[in-house]
Amino acid sequence: MKKKVFAVALSLIMVLALCTACGNSSSSGSSSGSSDSSAASDGGKSVADMTTFTVGFDAEYPPFGYKDDNGDYTGFDLELAQAVCDLEGWKLVKNPIDWDSKDMELNSGSIDCIWNGFTINGRENDYTWSVPYCDNSQVVVVPAGSDIKKLSDLKGKVVGVQTASAAYDVLTNKDQQKDLGDTFAQLQQFGDYNTAFTELQAGSIDALAIDVGVANYQIKQRGDGFVKLDEALNSEQYGVGFKKGNTALRDEINKDLKKLKEDGTVDKLAQKYDIADMICL
Amino acid sequence: MSLSTMLVQMGDGMLKSISIFIWTLVLSLPLGLIVSFGRMSKNRILRGIVTFYISVMRGTPLMLQLLVVYFGPYYLFQANIGAYRYTAIIFGFVVNYAAYFAEIFRSGIQSMPKGQYEAADVLGYSRSQAFMKIILPQVMKRILPPVTNETITLVKDTSLAYALAYSEMFSIAKQIAAAQTTFTPLIVAAVFYYIFNYVVAGIMSYIEKKLSYYR
Repeated sequence: MKKKVFAVALSLIMVLALCTACGNSSSSGSSSGSSDSSAASDGGKSVADMTTFTVGFDAEYPPFGYKDDNGDYTGFDLELAQAVCDLEGWKLVKNPIDWDSKDMELNSGSIDCIWNGFTINGRENDYTWSVPYCDNSQVVVVPAGSDIKKLSDLKGKVVGVQTASAAYDVLTNKDQQKDLGDTFAQLQQFGDYNTAFTELQAGSIDALAIDVGVANYQIKQRGDGFVKLDEALNSEQYGVGFKKGNTALRDEINKDLKKLKEDGTVDKLAQKYDIADMICL
Repeated sequence: MSLSTMLVQMGDGMLKSISIFIWTLVLSLPLGLIVSFGRMSKNRILRGIVTFYISVMRGTPLMLQLLVVYFGPYYLFQANIGAYRYTAIIFGFVVNYAAYFAEIFRSGIQSMPKGQYEAADVLGYSRSQAFMKIILPQVMKRILPPVTNETITLVKDTSLAYALAYSEMFSIAKQIAAAQTTFTPLIVAAVFYYIFNYVVAGIMSYIEKKLSYYR
């Protein structure tokens, strides 16, 4: 008897769950309604009405955006964004995104800007850009003791890049280094640099094309196992990327960046993250 | 970073993984039952639609479905989807898993001998009474093993939410791994998932044992 009760109770739970199913579908309806209020974070509304500032960033991109030892998202770019928010009285919302989906996230309005070591060069017409704030270059990292000493040694080698990264663009754009890229045995794309560096260490790729700031951080963290080639692939600049046409917000951020440069905040942060020689504001 | 802070942060992500797991299970099981009725419907149009839905859900990757569910409203209606991330994840998981559960329910329901319906009819049960009181409890017992299979797969599939940049445990493990330049968090994640599944499998086998009262 007891067991029969148990079986009936189980069926009952299923039926009850049915009711929750209905209940929930209506609550999901209301949550899509409440998203109207956050529609305010779209490019269309006026900057004066803003209360929050949502920054999209790749949380696997130290030192510009990453998880610190306490589990909070931090990095040079995020602290700079925080400083901007302090000036404006906005609340900073740090929204980690999947780098492959950054355009969809930005266009759909779930983030206000992409601020994360975001290379301007080659993407000039795809976003509305802030002033460049950081000089960057794409460099090549090889394991210590590798026979690759200069860029031309990369011929016939397997080279890794991050998917949708500036390094990838440089090596596939015929106005830049496509000629060099074509000599590689393979251009292997990775989602994140942790995997890429492990593969480099394990010998399944020969070299890694990477932003210089990220390369310095990784080499510092990982010790002596890696070296940076002296020749850079190119030189380029970082900016904050806004949805195309969102010039109002862009102008506001530009103004704030200038102020933060003048009062020394930018240089202080740059020193903290060891990228002082890269700042170009 | 010490192991204990890593565990605390990943425990936080674990809670998010568990919430995806529970919501998906609670919503997709009953939805699956309803879908299985549609799949077995005598109405040819309804049956056709449901069969097509199941074949799409089973025939395309879950990660792709999640991206479509999340970004779809923007591309179709230019809707702002800022506050919609978690709903999209749950919705994507539920419609996908309901398709699989529907087929499991169908296999269970169709495996019941016709004689039972006839006997119930003779005893004066209505069709719905016969289904709720006689058929369904037996179906529950029969489909537990395949449901356990799907449930365990679901635990592991929660990691696909990283494609929508939801900070469940796998995303957090990858982020810690990137900042600390080590693979340790991924090993910790493996242990977390294994324990989670060990508990789930234990609960399911307990229920199975409780229900096997005629053996």
